[in-house]
Amino acid sequence: MAQSGDPPRLRQYVAARARLVGSGLVVGLVLGGLGTAGWTLYTGDVRSSEATVFALGALVFGFGLLGWSGSILAGRGIEAMQEHMGTRSNWTERDSRRAMARLCGGGGGIMVGTSVVAALL
Amino acid sequence: MSTDTETRGTLGRLRASPFLADLLTNRLAVVGLTIILGMAAVAIYARVTYDLGALAGSQLGTEIADRAPPGWLGPAPANQQLFGTDAAARDIYKRSLYGAWLALKFGTITVGTSTTVGVGLGIIAAYYGDVTDNVIMRTMDVLLAFPPLLLALALVAIFPRDLGLWRAVVALVLVYTPRFARVVRGAALKVLEDEYVDATVALGATDPRVLVRHILPNTLAPITVQSTLNFGLAIIDLAALSFLGFGAQAGTPSWGLMLSRGVENGLLTGEWWLSFFPGLFLAITVLGFNLLGDGMRDALDPRMRDAID
Amino acid sequence: MNWTQFLFRLAEPVVPPRFVIKRLLLLIPVLFGVASVVFAILHLAPGDPAVIIAGQRASAEQLEQIRVELGLRRPLWEQYLTFLWDAARFDFGQSYSISRGNSVRSVISDRLPITLELAIYGQAAGILLGLPLGIISAVKQDSLTDHVTRIGALTGISVPIFWSGPLLILLFSTYLDVFPTSGRIASTLFLPDTWTLFGRELPLTGMITVDTILLGNTEAFLSAAHHLFLPAVVIGVYSTALISRMMRSSMLEVIRQDYIRTARAKGQGAKITLMKHGFRNALIPVVTVIGIQFGTLLGGAVLTETVFGINGMGLTIVTAIGVSDYPVVQGTVLTFALLFTLVNLFVDVTYSYLDPRIQQ
Repeated sequence: MAQSGDPPRLRQYVAARARLVGSGLVVGLVLGGLGTAGWTLYTGDVRSSEATVFALGALVFGFGLLGWSGSILAGRGIEAMQEHMGTRSNWTERDSRRAMARLCGGGGGIMVGTSVVAALL
Repeated sequence: MSTDTETRGTLGRLRASPFLADLLTNRLAVVGLTIILGMAAVAIYARVTYDLGALAGSQLGTEIADRAPPGWLGPAPANQQLFGTDAAARDIYKRSLYGAWLALKFGTITVGTSTTVGVGLGIIAAYYGDVTDNVIMRTMDVLLAFPPLLLALALVAIFPRDLGLWRAVVALVLVYTPRFARVVRGAALKVLEDEYVDATVALGATDPRVLVRHILPNTLAPITVQSTLNFGLAIIDLAALSFLGFGAQAGTPSWGLMLSRGVENGLLTGEWWLSFFPGLFLAITVLGFNLLGDGMRDALDPRMRDAID
Repeated sequence: MNWTQFLFRLAEPVVPPRFVIKRLLLLIPVLFGVASVVFAILHLAPGDPAVIIAGQRASAEQLEQIRVELGLRRPLWEQYLTFLWDAARFDFGQSYSISRGNSVRSVISDRLPITLELAIYGQAAGILLGLPLGIISAVKQDSLTDHVTRIGALTGISVPIFWSGPLLILLFSTYLDVFPTSGRIASTLFLPDTWTLFGRELPLTGMITVDTILLGNTEAFLSAAHHLFLPAVVIGVYSTALISRMMRSSMLEVIRQDYIRTARAKGQGAKITLMKHGFRNALIPVVTVIGIQFGTLLGGAVLTETVFGINGMGLTIVTAIGVSDYPVVQGTVLTFALLFTLVNLFVDVTYSYLDPRIQQ
């Protein structure tokens, strides 16, 4: 947990997480924007393509959010159970959380990207 | 029981492993296999002999009575059907046999597709590791966390209605793929731990070559077990979706749909044959796959066993 | 010492409150995650909500008016945020068709207890029968008992609920007429909305076997139990089969492990060894598995309700998907997801009690 009385550490804490989500966000922005533009070229209907791409973005975002909270919820349990059962697996809560944070960023990016492109078109 | 794989090649490895021997001594697995082969014979017979259009169409208005009990019960009228007829005067015997064809066909498509996709994802995740592994497997984990039938229901709601049974197939493929990915990844990691893969890579083998020649054959056993167990599940889930009205289109002689019509038309009036026979076929088929799958799992190398749920 | 102090005493050394609070807070992102997925499903699903509400014959102006009323003409990000806000307050508007004019919230609060009751009986049967069966089967591996239990469990998971259910109805209701075919209570009996405890009026739970006991109405309780018997048997057998299979394999796993052998070598009796080391350790994966299995049980409840015509969440979601009643679909899916998460949260806490290493 971050300590609020400690600015450098807080900045570090936030920056690390922002980078993780941000990398996903950028990819999502591009994907969402291109997706909407491409879909519109194909169908000729901005409104429906925006709706489809936006919904896909919401799906990815929601999926990531579920996975993120899920890995914290069950993460330690899974790690301990695998250790307990002697199963060799390199599943860790940390990896799972990070992958899901990226996915969340990506989903958010798609939603923003499609909204911006649809507004421009 | 662990196998020291001295022999090379898939066949040699199979022969050397106690997997086959154990499997044959396991009588339940043999019973399961017999059931499956028998059902497959029934399916092919029905596919060759009967015409789907004739089985699907209503026979009301012909000389065949509707909701007639099985012919061997009570006084015999002029035309008898072995399993009786349903509310549209269709022959339940022929429809049940044809149901075997539909169940095995769509079961094979569902399991085959999810195995192929899952195996691909699992091996790629295990071999490349790192970010690839994380993105693939964590996504699979989230899919695995959803209750299977409820996830399938939610997915079915997205697809257009006119897809019929394909709608259920696609939903179930999405539900099952993560299981295969997980099993295969676990098995592949164990193969990668063995030194000879490192040795082949050191000798200059390229990625696809290592994946196909060394990792895939060694993960075949757990894949087969998982596929067999999942086959039973797939048949039951496809029938469940049809039963709930999200699978086969009206008239199709699928077991799930026949059961749903049986509940609708024969439950309160005591026409038990409407639901009894299709359900019996369904339960026996699923039991066959579960018996075989269980036996195979017991015969499997314990190192691989714990990856299968 | 009063009750609260006692309860805290009881909970304190085993599961720290911080552990529980952190997990409860995680329910918020879970809710938003599910809500986003539901939003996506709604917008990807075929069919125009306006047509569903107004019918095929509605004029273009009527349809347009409904779309504006539903907010479908606003920008998507605005629709999305509104939807999340509504989901947070558990407000999904009104049902389009299956319970037209009623709020989704009231539909769910009517029907959730019905499904919960069924699921609880199923889960209870699974735990009370399935766990012991699985343990016996593992301990007496390869004995006759083991074989019978295994084949029984295998049959139990192979026989679909939508076949065993109708057959039981046919045999016991239609032919023998000893159980009712559907419904939850005799149609001649009416239950009040509230019950009284020490002169205070309290709302009823909606679980009919519980309510009739709270009301002290023996006749109604017997009727409710009579109605619930067959569905409970169907789902109970299914859940017993599932849990006994899992318990057997995880118990075998534990027995194979070294420390049991060590304990035996030290001269402890077989039974004591098993109870002291085996059970507790075998319980860890089983508790997790019960949580995961609860999802399968909910799927079983959907089928059971459809077969027995019990108007719970399962039948509601199936009907709502069938007629594209999206507000109801959203509400029920979200409720199922929250229920599933809550059960797993409970499992997680139990689990950390069994294996304190997890709390860290």
